[in-house]
Amino acid sequence: MSEANGNRRLKFEIFRYNPQDPDSTPHMQDFEINELPYMSLFMALNEIREKQDPSLQFDFACRSAICGSCGMMVNGRPNLGCRTQTSDLPDVIRLHPLPVFKLVGDLSVDTGIWFREMAEKTEAWIHAEKAFDPDAQEDRMDDELAQSIYDSDRCIECGCCVASCGVANVKGDFAGPAGLNRMARFAMDPRDTRDDSDWYEVISNENGVFGCIGMMACHDICPKELPLLEVYAYLRRKAVASALTN
Amino acid sequence: MKLLPSTTAGRQVAYELISGGSGLVLALFMWGHMMFVGSILVGTYGFDWLALQLEVYFIAQPTVIVIFTLFLVHAVLAARKIPAQLEERKVMVKLGRDLKGQPHSESLLWIWQVRTGMAVLVLGSFHLVLLGVDVLTPLWGERIGIESVTSLARVQAGLWLPYAILLICVEFHASIGLYRLAVKWGVFSSLARKTLHRIESIILWLFLGLGAVILLVLAGVLPPPLAFLLTGASA
Repeated sequence: MSEANGNRRLKFEIFRYNPQDPDSTPHMQDFEINELPYMSLFMALNEIREKQDPSLQFDFACRSAICGSCGMMVNGRPNLGCRTQTSDLPDVIRLHPLPVFKLVGDLSVDTGIWFREMAEKTEAWIHAEKAFDPDAQEDRMDDELAQSIYDSDRCIECGCCVASCGVANVKGDFAGPAGLNRMARFAMDPRDTRDDSDWYEVISNENGVFGCIGMMACHDICPKELPLLEVYAYLRRKAVASALTN
Repeated sequence: MKLLPSTTAGRQVAYELISGGSGLVLALFMWGHMMFVGSILVGTYGFDWLALQLEVYFIAQPTVIVIFTLFLVHAVLAARKIPAQLEERKVMVKLGRDLKGQPHSESLLWIWQVRTGMAVLVLGSFHLVLLGVDVLTPLWGERIGIESVTSLARVQAGLWLPYAILLICVEFHASIGLYRLAVKWGVFSSLARKTLHRIESIILWLFLGLGAVILLVLAGVLPPPLAFLLTGASA
């Protein structure tokens, strides 16, 4: 814990805009609060809403970095509000909503629309031809592969990677880090019957893995520390392998 | 004969491989290039001797043509990922600046890779045309080929400035490009990314330092520091 924790007067500069209100214009609004020990942005924003401005919009649900609803730009870096401690931040804290996603109001964005569209595009579900037999033993899977699938599945869809991605910020059709991760998750799953030729056109595309320019922010930002760079390298090699066999 | 695969996906793979592959070859060539130009460190005799060998055995002539071709191909294919609109670029620059700081610098480095790439395209084209004329025509100097007299005179007449800018841009562009290429394809994945980045920094400063000394010798500011190796050989 830093020495400053609990002794500072914190200044919050918060982006305010309500798209539902025709009189609302985008602007920054300042708030000041006293820092408390172990204060997270979740606590700070709640205090501001309770004591200073009940109209402030932001999202939180689980408070433990599981639900992925409190992603926001904290001094220009995407992060989860619930796991960001004010003690790790300077006296002035600038908050913006995540870019790329539809703005609900102030710091609240609808990541659901983006992720649903991405899931539909990538058909992010197991494509199985065999009927499910609840009594049968599951097919065996290599430990390392199971771990890789599990790693990709740990994505909580907070949108921080998408917000930090230079390409996703300027190119709406780009699958984005979370989308590429989703492709890899199903492409590597042996239970999914889609083969390399099915994936080839989706992955080997300028909106797929070849849209990635290697800024690597997604990997560094991901609050769940997903191995995104390994995922992209896997997809790149898969695309080349498909090119050689097709 | 088809030069590229006919499917969209196949073409994308080809573009990516040619873009990265040409960058890799050009970066490796620049290391060799540093060794060639570095022959000035033993004096004009060493420089002229090496240049003559490369020309007599017809290494220099095809190299200039192949490198210029690769240079242009790399520029076209690598540039396909640069956003076309100024507004889009501003978004990326702002993002890169905001994200700068530990533990992330690669976003801003990508932007600088584009900027240095543009500088290399302009200054490198100038240099390649100049050297192409040297190697392939009798326009300057006493014979067809690279000569220390001409090279020294040019650098000392003022070309030290564009060459200094070119040196910084090329070394930065190549070292960060190699690092990014390794991470993108998962090469050397047994090494931590931090280690790869450190290796990249060492390569950058090593070649920048060596290049700076070579340029200072060409500019006549420093005497050839390794001239003693050829004592008695030079005129």
